[in-house]
Amino acid sequence: MTPRPAPPEAYAAALAALPGIGPARLLELVRRGPLAKEWAAVCAGGSGCEGGDGSDDPGDEPAAAFAVPRPAGNRSGAAQARAARRVDVAGRWRELRGAGIGVTYLGAADYPPRLRDDPSPPAVLFWRGDLGVLERDAVAVVGTRRATGYGRGVAHRIAHDLSGEGLCVVSGLALGIDGAAHEGALAARPGWTAGVAASGVDVPYPRRHAGLWDRVIDRGVVVSETGPGHPAQPWRFPARNRIIAGLVRAVVVVESHARGGSLHTVDAAAERGIDVLVVPGPVTSPASEGTNQLLRDGRAPVRHARDVLDELGRFPAWSGGSPPPAASGGAHRLDETTRAVLDAVDWTPTATAVVAERTGLGMGPLGVVLVRLESWGVLRGRDGWWERAGDAPRRARGEDERMV
Amino acid sequence: MLATIPSASLLGVDGHPVTVEVQVANGLPCFAIVGLPDLSCREARDRVRAAIVSSDLPWQSRRVTVNLAPSGVRKGGAGLDLPIAVALLVASEVLRPAEVAGMAFLGELGLDGSLRRVPGVVPMVDALDEPAVVVPPACAREAAVVGRHLVRHARDLRELVGALRGQRAWAPLPAPPAGPPPAPVPDLADVRGQRLGRWALEVAAAGGHHLLLVGPPGAGKTMLARRLPGLLPPLGRREAVETTRIHSAAGLPLPPAGLVSEPPFRAPHHGASAASLVGGGSAGLRPGEISAAHHGVLFLDELAEFPAGVLDTLRQPLEEGVVRVSRARASVCFPARFLLVAAMNPCPCGEGSLPGRCRCEEVARRRYAARVSGPLLDRFDLRVLVEPPEVSELLPSAGVPALEGSEPSATVAARVASARASARRRGVVANADLPASCLDEWCPLSAEARAVLEARLRQGRLSARGLHRVRRVARTVADLAGREGSLSEEDVCAALLLRADLFPNGPVGP
Repeated sequence: MTPRPAPPEAYAAALAALPGIGPARLLELVRRGPLAKEWAAVCAGGSGCEGGDGSDDPGDEPAAAFAVPRPAGNRSGAAQARAARRVDVAGRWRELRGAGIGVTYLGAADYPPRLRDDPSPPAVLFWRGDLGVLERDAVAVVGTRRATGYGRGVAHRIAHDLSGEGLCVVSGLALGIDGAAHEGALAARPGWTAGVAASGVDVPYPRRHAGLWDRVIDRGVVVSETGPGHPAQPWRFPARNRIIAGLVRAVVVVESHARGGSLHTVDAAAERGIDVLVVPGPVTSPASEGTNQLLRDGRAPVRHARDVLDELGRFPAWSGGSPPPAASGGAHRLDETTRAVLDAVDWTPTATAVVAERTGLGMGPLGVVLVRLESWGVLRGRDGWWERAGDAPRRARGEDERMV
Repeated sequence: MLATIPSASLLGVDGHPVTVEVQVANGLPCFAIVGLPDLSCREARDRVRAAIVSSDLPWQSRRVTVNLAPSGVRKGGAGLDLPIAVALLVASEVLRPAEVAGMAFLGELGLDGSLRRVPGVVPMVDALDEPAVVVPPACAREAAVVGRHLVRHARDLRELVGALRGQRAWAPLPAPPAGPPPAPVPDLADVRGQRLGRWALEVAAAGGHHLLLVGPPGAGKTMLARRLPGLLPPLGRREAVETTRIHSAAGLPLPPAGLVSEPPFRAPHHGASAASLVGGGSAGLRPGEISAAHHGVLFLDELAEFPAGVLDTLRQPLEEGVVRVSRARASVCFPARFLLVAAMNPCPCGEGSLPGRCRCEEVARRRYAARVSGPLLDRFDLRVLVEPPEVSELLPSAGVPALEGSEPSATVAARVASARASARRRGVVANADLPASCLDEWCPLSAEARAVLEARLRQGRLSARGLHRVRRVARTVADLAGREGSLSEEDVCAALLLRADLFPNGPVGP
């Protein structure tokens, strides 16, 4: 069957969905291009696929069989050609466009510029939203899914302020830090943000973030190397992290456990010579173990968005970013009891039981103070624990030399 | 000739009077029991015959018909052995009717003629109107709990016949066996630290508020829960009799004096089936663990390990204080007004009470939290995160008294008793039972307290039902402090501290 005329993106999508073509082989084909020609060669069975065992059934729906990358020679060229000949390239392309899914490939005009010189660029990227946001200066804000309130708060604030400065905040759409970073960016104006997914761009993962996906697509873009309709598989996450590193000028790691996925992103950034900036955390917090180790290894610490901009060599007319939540707290004078309660609450979540133990107060007075401090925004209470949410109110306003 | 002897049978926790009629007539030798006996009751035939023969009493080789009236109600258990034997002896003119007049009989017979204990003596005796009742010696104190009857007992059939004929005196009521003293209830003074946990326990005991303790393994959840019975006031006479009836019907061991006077503490393992928890079963409708905990404490350790279906059977009894068990052949109502105390880990790895510490996948955490349904979780007025005590509390430094600051149970129990007295003045047993319509009357809010609650409501962190619960708990807090009148800011804030949203389903984000 002779393929009907279709744009090269259509062939890129078709090649990416073909069984037996892994990322490396796809990259080879895309680099060799033009894609229509390569597709024709695959259909003819002469695309240079060395003979394999030929035992794999390509299946009725080629996309469904695409699972793990295999060495290119593992599948017989003939079987692949049979599968390819069954694919309606133009029809599939129309379906993708109808679903609002765009396709770009290495060499295309809209391919993200920073990825063109990447050592291992994704050959084909699927996207939803506005791919243009990736042409801006971008910063990745990443970290653990098992984040503390501190980590989520910092990620939110840094992403918010960076986004407010017109940068694109890139992250992985995951729970925890990633989610907080996207939320922070979306809360700012213009609020450009890009999510790099490990699953297909039409398969929100984790499902709880389906709403977040829609909002990111609304204001920015969700991209993925994985074909539409495919779930996230474990090996895809490190591959996704390399794309995050490839898309940005700097990676900010907010919280990471001793062994965490965000350390993949750090490694990928190091390979590419991209700055890695690290948010310090309490040395007692397991969620900051990985990040504190990075600091110990000599990475640059960041406290807020201004530090990131400094690293990027941008010196904006910094207006101060988001106001610290405790801004109103300065007006309150602290008595002995309140001070004692505040001192008993850590910057990491502290159980009510522990606060009670440390202060030795009766439950009534303790409850009153905690509820009051929470209403001032100095503490955040949730699920039976409390944490410091902002700068402590000063005893007198004259002492106030807050920086941010 | 015909003889009738009053007795009783057990259904659920209620006794039903049964009249045992025996007719000895000419005809082919035969021994038949009619009147819907179940299997164990039908086996009475062989036991009664063997007991009579081995007691050297005459056995009639004639046609013997036993009828258990009312004959439409199914009777179970071996408790009718003794009345059948006595009726048979009367019908065969070994005993004269006048000798057994005004007496009811209950008990199982051994093949040697001895009288053995049967479960459910308290409710069965309670159902009898005869002035005297004869029971096995092991049940004598139990039967005396009812207090309306002259309780007689005999070791075996021969002794019984002798006593009935007036040839020997009735044995006196046995003194309570001087067995080992009851194991002491663990005392709160043994608990180090845990100010919040101890205080939650006190509020739970005072207000009858159900309590959920969440924390990592080894934090002391079970240790705390086991000290709750020591804080509860002893049962009143009416409550004690109610609880004794249930324990008797369930065949649970009763205290030597017969009456269950301390609040029961039941801690079923999480392998418990729904029937064992709420009652039922095919062999007679037996009260379950929640009824055994009536007027006491039901402690469910490792709550999340209980099958979800089993846990949800608790919802209706928690609301109504009774559980109705319906089976094809009978439907019974078990009282089940208990204080529910549950303990669980925050997540499968157990360390996740505070964010950032847990080693579990997010999915595993959610699956774990979902094992306890929202409606059940909502029944817990008090939800507390328990943290392991800090080292300084476990090993106090030299010179500091080891248990300083740890109040003994007796001190706390005194406060609990006075708080319960305040609740009784409002017409309820405990504040948890205050109807929503009376909250404005009994739990008025001060201006500051109102402001705190209003802020919570506006933030969407408190539901309408949650508001009621906070007010009830705050009332208990005020009662414990001896404060009358409207609820202060302290009372309400303290109540809020005890009501952590432990498994929120809100979005992840700052």
